[in-house]
Amino acid sequence: MSVISRPWNRLSLAGKIILPLFLLLIALTVLLLAGWQLGLIPAVIELLAEVVRSNIDIFRFILTATLTLLITIPVAFVIIYMEMKVIAFLAGRIGPNRVGPWGTLSSVFHGFKVLAKEDFTPTGADAAVFTVAPIITYLSSVLTLLVIPFAPGLVGLDMNIGLLYFFAVSGLTVVGLLTAGWSSFNKYSLLGGLRAAAQIVSYELPLLLAPVGIIMLAGTLSLNQIVIQQSGWFWDWYVFQQPIAFIVFFIAAAAEGNRTPFDLTEADSEIVAGFATEYSGMRFGFFFFAEYVNVFILSALTVVLFFGGWNAPIDPRPILEFFRIGSLTPAIDVSSMGIWLLWVLAIGVPLLVLLIALPLWLLKSGWSFLKSLVVAFVLFNVMAIAAVTIWAFLSFEVVVGLFWFIVKTFTFVFIFVWMRGTLPRVRIDQLMGFAWKWLVEIALLNVFVTAGAILLVQELARQ
Amino acid sequence: MGLMSKVPGWGMAMGMVYTFKRFVQPKVTIQYPEERQDISPHHRGRLVLLYDEAGNLKCETCFQCAMACPIEIIDMGGVDTKNRMHVHWGPPEQYAERREESALRRSGRPVSDKAFAAWLPIDLGPLERILVANDYDPRRLLTVLEQSQATYGYLPVAALQHISHSTGAWYSEIYGIATSYPHLVFEPGRVAEIGLCRCAACSLAGGGKVRDALVEALGIDVGGVTPDGSVRFSAADCGGDNGGQPLVTLDGQRQPGMTPDKARDLAQKLRAKSAKAANA
Repeated sequence: MSVISRPWNRLSLAGKIILPLFLLLIALTVLLLAGWQLGLIPAVIELLAEVVRSNIDIFRFILTATLTLLITIPVAFVIIYMEMKVIAFLAGRIGPNRVGPWGTLSSVFHGFKVLAKEDFTPTGADAAVFTVAPIITYLSSVLTLLVIPFAPGLVGLDMNIGLLYFFAVSGLTVVGLLTAGWSSFNKYSLLGGLRAAAQIVSYELPLLLAPVGIIMLAGTLSLNQIVIQQSGWFWDWYVFQQPIAFIVFFIAAAAEGNRTPFDLTEADSEIVAGFATEYSGMRFGFFFFAEYVNVFILSALTVVLFFGGWNAPIDPRPILEFFRIGSLTPAIDVSSMGIWLLWVLAIGVPLLVLLIALPLWLLKSGWSFLKSLVVAFVLFNVMAIAAVTIWAFLSFEVVVGLFWFIVKTFTFVFIFVWMRGTLPRVRIDQLMGFAWKWLVEIALLNVFVTAGAILLVQELARQ
Repeated sequence: MGLMSKVPGWGMAMGMVYTFKRFVQPKVTIQYPEERQDISPHHRGRLVLLYDEAGNLKCETCFQCAMACPIEIIDMGGVDTKNRMHVHWGPPEQYAERREESALRRSGRPVSDKAFAAWLPIDLGPLERILVANDYDPRRLLTVLEQSQATYGYLPVAALQHISHSTGAWYSEIYGIATSYPHLVFEPGRVAEIGLCRCAACSLAGGGKVRDALVEALGIDVGGVTPDGSVRFSAADCGGDNGGQPLVTLDGQRQPGMTPDKARDLAQKLRAKSAKAANA
């Protein structure tokens, strides 16, 4: 064995990682070539494709569920970072700037911190329920992502009762919070859970009643259809037809997401953390995550319902027609290029790098040629990425749609954070009174007025 | 604004506008180790006196801080290294004023203090004549100081300050010179001088025991002045003629028949006289 073990021990750590990978690569290449030659691999691919094709619904479900779960992690990290940074900026500070470039990794390290902490269950707590409660809260947030249309065609499940599903699933949050408060075996947690339940149940009402006007206008509960109905210029968005509904919805969404000024359920600045008092480690992390995913989802729903979802604010078609450009086809057909593609890749890239490097070398007299080459290579990469992005933006409406959706959604996330950085917390009686005495009535009035207006317009159209 | 403030949510909106202004404004944070605040070169932070590990004040009243102070804000008085309470920086009359004032405020009566006399203002005429004679030359400080002492009988702080101001020599320099020569004193009043011969003959005759007794009684060794400034303990020379006894002089006069006990009595008597004079 020493024939192998001695040189192996002499390898550095990087070598110990790279060498097996390298051997694996060689083995895989040999296997692939052999398999291809023998006709095994095409057969296997064919079989797999057949399996996927015949069970498309199951595969779609697995893929969507996985993606939905996975997408929450970067989204939550980005929002946590954004919250730290934006609140710092609002307060005249700089905010996190030590971990990673501009402190971008600090939220990730917060996640690691939560993972590394002790996962503690208090004596007397109902351990099973205590464990399940954060999962319920988290899932009730995450599962709503399924019906949100991110871009044309990029929707987990285009249900015809999408909005109903959304509210039904997000209503499960109450169950999670109540079980968390109850199972902690702590009167403060129980009171916190009850308060949270009272708040969320109260604000569910205006949150549900506000989009009723939109449902009547759109004639559908499918979120995808609602977005399609708002296509065109930005004045086609429902916010201009339903401004009161938007205000009611936004306030209710802030309360539903436990955001300032309605963050009584887990008021950060107070000593007892409501229903989450007894939680630590990753179980607390799930509550924390769910809160930030909730912010994203509520912003996304606001955008979908009132701000045209993935629709661009301007309609490019009339402008293009005005300039007589006609249909724009910037897509490059790679398959038709044949061997020239290879030439472009092999010669074009070094040539372009040289072209960028030469003026740098000539103009910046202090630079060595190698340095200008390196800088030119970096510049070339940046330009290439930018070019590919622009090409994708122009060619695929999915990218365009995703761009506008993300921009709009994060605008609302910013507004939520902005509110948190500005407004003080309300009292519990003010909170409940505001929901029952004002928001519900306004939302109901909006429903009746919208219904009357629709009838009036139909009546006028009939004559 | 009066009308707008009636609109629900107006105050919240104004608050949001206010924070957004903060959002786009430059940030106040200074990234300390990388950036430093633009501080005036004259800034020295808050002045504090430091203590060493044993809890003793590290300040030796060298006045370097007072001299370096560009706006002359440091005004200090304290006990010098030889425990003689006459160290002071700053105008004497001002200090005297304040001292009396604070004494009145604390105890209701002005406190007369012997050591305090050293800070009192003096007639600078004779000193000015000495300085003119020495051409205001800081290199002749020792001469100036000796002549001043000959004129005033001691070195008043006001005289030292005037010398410092008119010759340009640092006060700490003058003070250092004055303290390093035992014949220069800072207190008014006569200084009794006990001399002791330390030659081999006197030592054989019991000079060591006399010296021990004097050291014990005076608290200083040969070449020093007692903390109260009453006795100077210096070396004398018997010139080989000690008559079989250790030679002790008092103000240059031989004191024959000196034993350790007698020497102790003499020293204590001298010190007691000085103390009585101080209390009067």
